[in-house]
Formats: sequence, C-alpha cells, structure tokens
Amino acid sequence: MTVNHFEIFGLTPSVDVDVPALEAKYRELSLEHHPDRVGADQRLEAVQKTTSLNEAVKVLRDPARRAFYLLQLEGIDLEKQQMPMEFLESILEQREQLEIAKRQKNLPKVRALGAEVGHTSDQALAEGLKALRAGEVPAATSALARVRYYTRFLDEVEAIEESAA
Amino acid sequence: MKGFLQIHDPLKPKGHAVGIDLGTTNSLVAGVVHGKPVCLEADENGARLLPSVVHYGRDGGVVVGSRAVALMPSHPTDTLKSVKRFMGKSLGDAETQKLGAYRFAEGTGIVRFQVSGGQPVTPIEVSGEILRALKRRAESHFAGKVEQAVITVPAYFDDAQRQATKDAGRLAGLEVLRLLNEPTAAALAYGLDKGSQGRFAVYDLGGGTFDISILELTDGVFQVKSVGGDSALGGDDFDRAIVKWVAGDKPLSPSEISNLLQAARAAKEALTTASETTLAGQQLTREKLDELIAPLIEKTGVACRRALKDAGLKAHELDGVVLVGGSTRVPAVRRFVQQLFGKEPLADIDPDQVVALGAAVQADLLTNSERQDEVLLLDVIPLSLGLETMGGVVEKVIPRNSTIPMAAAQVFTTFQDGQNAMDVHVLQGERELVEDCRSLARFRLTGIPAMPAGMGRVEVKFSVDADGILSVAAKEQSTGAEQHITVKPTHGLTDEEIEQMLLDSIDHAEDDMQKRLLREQQVEAQRILIDAKKQLAENGDLLEPTERATMQSSMHALEQLAAATADHHALKEAIHALDEQSKPFVEKIMNRAISRAVVGQKV
Repeated sequence: MTVNHFEIFGLTPSVDVDVPALEAKYRELSLEHHPDRVGADQRLEAVQKTTSLNEAVKVLRDPARRAFYLLQLEGIDLEKQQMPMEFLESILEQREQLEIAKRQKNLPKVRALGAEVGHTSDQALAEGLKALRAGEVPAATSALARVRYYTRFLDEVEAIEESAA
Repeated sequence: MKGFLQIHDPLKPKGHAVGIDLGTTNSLVAGVVHGKPVCLEADENGARLLPSVVHYGRDGGVVVGSRAVALMPSHPTDTLKSVKRFMGKSLGDAETQKLGAYRFAEGTGIVRFQVSGGQPVTPIEVSGEILRALKRRAESHFAGKVEQAVITVPAYFDDAQRQATKDAGRLAGLEVLRLLNEPTAAALAYGLDKGSQGRFAVYDLGGGTFDISILELTDGVFQVKSVGGDSALGGDDFDRAIVKWVAGDKPLSPSEISNLLQAARAAKEALTTASETTLAGQQLTREKLDELIAPLIEKTGVACRRALKDAGLKAHELDGVVLVGGSTRVPAVRRFVQQLFGKEPLADIDPDQVVALGAAVQADLLTNSERQDEVLLLDVIPLSLGLETMGGVVEKVIPRNSTIPMAAAQVFTTFQDGQNAMDVHVLQGERELVEDCRSLARFRLTGIPAMPAGMGRVEVKFSVDADGILSVAAKEQSTGAEQHITVKPTHGLTDEEIEQMLLDSIDHAEDDMQKRLLREQQVEAQRILIDAKKQLAENGDLLEPTERATMQSSMHALEQLAAATADHHALKEAIHALDEQSKPFVEKIMNRAISRAVVGQKV
C-alpha cells in the first residue's frame, strides 16, 4: 500500500494546490523526517521517507506535473495516448524547423520557435486544467498529452540554447 | 575497572568532528569551539591555510604544505600541486593536458603521477596526505582524536570526483560524515552567523573551480535551489593566462613553468591593491591583467545566468550575493559580480575561510545532538543522471538540481524477440548523446525470460543519497530477476586498492616512527591531564585528602615529563600509572553519576 503524493502532505487530490502552503508543509516534514535529524537506527526509514517527500513536492509544486499525476491516479498513461494525425504532423514540422535552425546555429530562430511553442503549450495546459477541474477526463487527457510533446520540444530548445552559450 | 582513558568523553566516542575545505590551492580545517566555528592552525607556524602541495622525497618521505612549496622549484615533478583538478579523472581527459609540471605514469583508467622514490601515486592518495596532515593538526589542537569530518567539494563535482574525495578521506583515517557542496557551506557560515532569511547567490571562484549556487533560507531550512559552474576554471587559469602572455611562444622547462607560475600568482595578488607591478622583467598593469582574464571571468557569467533560470529567479529577487574563494579578491571579479547581480556582494567573512567554517558548522550539526533542532540543509545533485537508450541517446532519469536524497525509476522494454539480457549504461551530464556525457557505470541484467519483443519490462531505479552518490538497481518485472550496484565510477579506486594504500601509507608517513609515536603519547598525555583536572574540579570531593594529593603529584610528574622527554615509552608508562591510580576515583565518579541518573529517572 503506497501513499500518493497528495496524501503525504495531508491533501486530497486536486488540480489547484496552494503552493506556498505546500512548501511550508514540505519544510516542516523535512525537518521531521530528514536522515540528518534521526538516530542511526532510523536512518534507512528516514532516507525512504525523505526521498518520497522530495519526489512528491517536485510533482505537486508544478502545475503541469501535478496535472499529469492526477491523470495517472485516474489510471491513464499519457505515454500510450493515440495522438491525432494532424497534431503529430504539425509537431514534426516544428521539430524539423528547430533541427534546421540548430544546424545553422540560428539562435534567434531557435528562441522564436521556443516562444511560439511555449505559448501553445501554456494554452493546452490551461485547457487541460480547466477540463480536469470540470471532471472531464477525456478532454483533459487529450490536452495534457499535447503538453507532453510541447514540453519535450521546449527541453530541446533549452538544450540548444545552453550548448550555444 | 575503568580509568580515565576509557571514560574519556563518553558522548563523543569518535572524538571531535571537523570541517575540511580540501581546496585546489589551499586546504583548511575548522572546528566548532565554544559554539563558534573557527579555523584551526594548519601548520607548525600557525598559518590557517595549508598549501595543497605534497612533496614525495627520494627516500619515500612525504612532506605536505608550505615546506613542500619550498621544495617545488628544486623538485618540480616530485612536488604535486592542484591535484584536486585530477580527482576522478583519467589520463585521456582534456583536463590532464593543461600547462603544468606533472609527470604522468603510463596506463589506463585513473591518473597516476610518477614521483621519485616509489610507486606512482593517484590524486586520491595525494589528497589523502593533505587530509592526514590536517587531521593531525586538528588532533594537536583538540588534544584528542579526530575521526569524523565533513569534507567540502565543488557543487559541480560529478559522481567520480565525489567518490574520489570520499576515498581520500578514508585513506586519511576519517569517517566522512558528509560531502558538502562548497557554496552551501559558505552560505551556512553566513546564514547561521547572521540569522538571516532570504535568497542568496554564492559566487565561488577558487584556485581551480568555479561554482554558483542559488539558495533559499526559510523557517530553519536551507534549500539549495540550483547549482552550476565549471569544474575547470579558477585563479590558476588567471596565472596561466599571465604566464602565456609573459612567455609568448618560448618553450619552457617544467621548473621554468613552475617558477613563472609562482611569479604570476604573486603579480596577480599584488595587483589587488597596486595598479602595476613587474614580472620576469616585464611591466604588468592592472588594466592588462583585467584584459588577460576578462574572457575567463565572462565564462562565469554564463553559469550564473543558467543557475538563476533553473531556480526560477531574476537577479533582482536575490537578497544578497556571497563571495567565496581567494580569486574573488581580484578587483575585476568583484566588479563583474556587482554588475551581473546589480548589488554589492557580501565579503565580510574571509573568502578563504568561509567554506571550512561552514563545513565545521555542518559537522557540528550532524554530531552534536543539542543542535539537531537548528538549521537543516537540503542539497541538490548538480548534474542530470540518465541511461543510454536506442541510438546512443541519453534518457534523463533524475534531472539536475533535484533535491537529494532522491529516487526515480524508468521502465524499459525488450526490443528483440527472445531477448534474455539487457545492458544498462549509466551516464551523467546534460547533453543528448552518450558520447558527450560522462559514463559512470555499465552492467548487464540477465535472466529475462524468453518473450516477444516489447513484452519484457525492466525497471531501472536510481537512488541518490545525501552525499550525491548514486546507486542503481535493475529488475525484470515478470520474474523479479534483479541486479544492484553502487556506482563505482570508472576512474575511482576499488575497495582492495584502498585497503592496500592504507597499508602502504603506514610506511611512508611524514615523520619517522619514533617521532610519530612520541607525538601520539604527548597528545594522549594532554588528554588524560585535561580529564583529570576536570574530574578533580567537579568530583574532587569524593577523594580523601591523601588520595587527592597523590593524584595531583602524579599529574604534575606527567605534565613535566610530557614537556621534556623524547622517550615515548617513558611517557606511555607515566600515562598508564596515572590511569591506574585514577581507577578507584573513576569508580566513585561513575557511582555518583549512576545514582544521580537513577534518582532523576521515574521507573
């Protein structure tokens, strides 16, 4: 029986989380369970507890990760979602453009693509969150599955920017 | 029956715990004394900084510190400096090709330096000698054993470099309580001293490494938000830039390079206050120095901007910037930091000492039960950890700047019909391709039952402990076939090698055996005398006047002998005599302590 990320913080699963309150609770629980705070005999358990705590806060403090996790709790695996053909085509097209800009070392173009996709991603996330709040799981799944693709794209943009620096 | 030697400091069976800044150029040891962290004298002349230089003599003797520095011009290849740069590195790494007077031993894997008078030595052994020297100084200071330490490492150290540092600690006979990131240590020193809350950047430019960290202190929790830096950038590079300028294309011998580097360093330091100086007959102005080092300083800016971004903060949201490392004394560096962050940096703690002081604070927090309710430190891993997937691409399993301890798992499926094994290749770094990342370990999970492609599911789980050191487990989900390893980096030492080195190190200690034994007995004598005085003061009423007088005269005799004799046997006997004499007294003290404890306790 594993405790879910929300339960660790005494929360019920929900789309919206008071992040400052979450962070405060995280500090409180860290002070209580961190291996540095316990005797040698409780160390192993403390490491496990602190690890779960660190994993949980990482998911819950970020709206996108939190939304993905809510779907996971619903038993939905975003990685297995069939995406509409036109969406896949458009993302492939954008990836190709990014690849070309990368090869040409055209950093302004890389950034412009990043800004464009970032904007679309924010919209898809907002749509997904709205659907989740309304309990419309299929709509949320479709929107958030797109966010995953956009996130990958944005990671790539970041990697290119970094290696250029 | 027990004497003083057995009951010594019952709450701290391991002796004192210290903080050690194992630096590229200089190393320091600090301890908490009367609740305040202080840097201890690191050599016989009372200096706090111990140059991280080790000389290997033809007779097999080892000299550490300023005495080794003095031997550098005459023995450039037998005197090793800046070995921290080679920790966890192989001969093939680009780092080893830099300007410097090292003679490498042939071979693969870990770097070994060829020195006169014996086997080639690894950077781990050289660092071990530095740590041992610091441990001895601390033992003299406390007149007692020092067996536990917090050792600092640059935040940017990878797994191999961290393992190497831990191994060096073991070689020196230290239990490494924690490897603490240097910038975190600095912030700890500042944070606790000033009791402040807020967000800080720590800009740490040392001799050989650059680190930037963004930290947040709230409600007694010190949280590292992000770290970044360059493990091969520091003040030594400034010196090299100066040497390149002054020498031009002229070929130089190792001793010429060594001499010029020392002169360049002196010139750089002089230009902190002066506007010009001379070096090898040439005029060097501060403007020229600024120009020579500008590209190096600029490199630090890239890492700073990235760290801010990772922390999700803008420069103006920071409450302060802390300067660490001797190289932040260079005026051009201070100017750069001020411009970059838009605020005057803090530098009120000596930038050379601040890391060691912070390490001592952490050592105290970890060992002193009374301080457990004070600040808690939450650190991060500096580099992403991942696995090789199809096509030589790295899949990140734990991204950089994740708070530790941390665990994460990834499931991989078989890609061939009937595939019965899977190779697991563990990597560290931010780049996409395997060849651009650092290979930490490879192992093979066997015993996967025959299944169609895609049906076999292997879960690979990464766990990172509080030191930032990784272990990996792979498990086939249908059968439960399992492999588990603590990642021993390719460029580290095996346990057997460490054992052998521990044995070897007994032979070539800095001093000969007689001197060492004498010093040990002197420390022992001091220790028992301190205890005896303390017990007489606290529990002297338990003794008859005659008993007390005998005891005092034995103490007096021991004190005199310890100061005068060169015979460690005689000293040992005198210690033993006092210890024997103390036994009835100690028994009375124990009885008193026990009866007090029982009375105070509700059974």
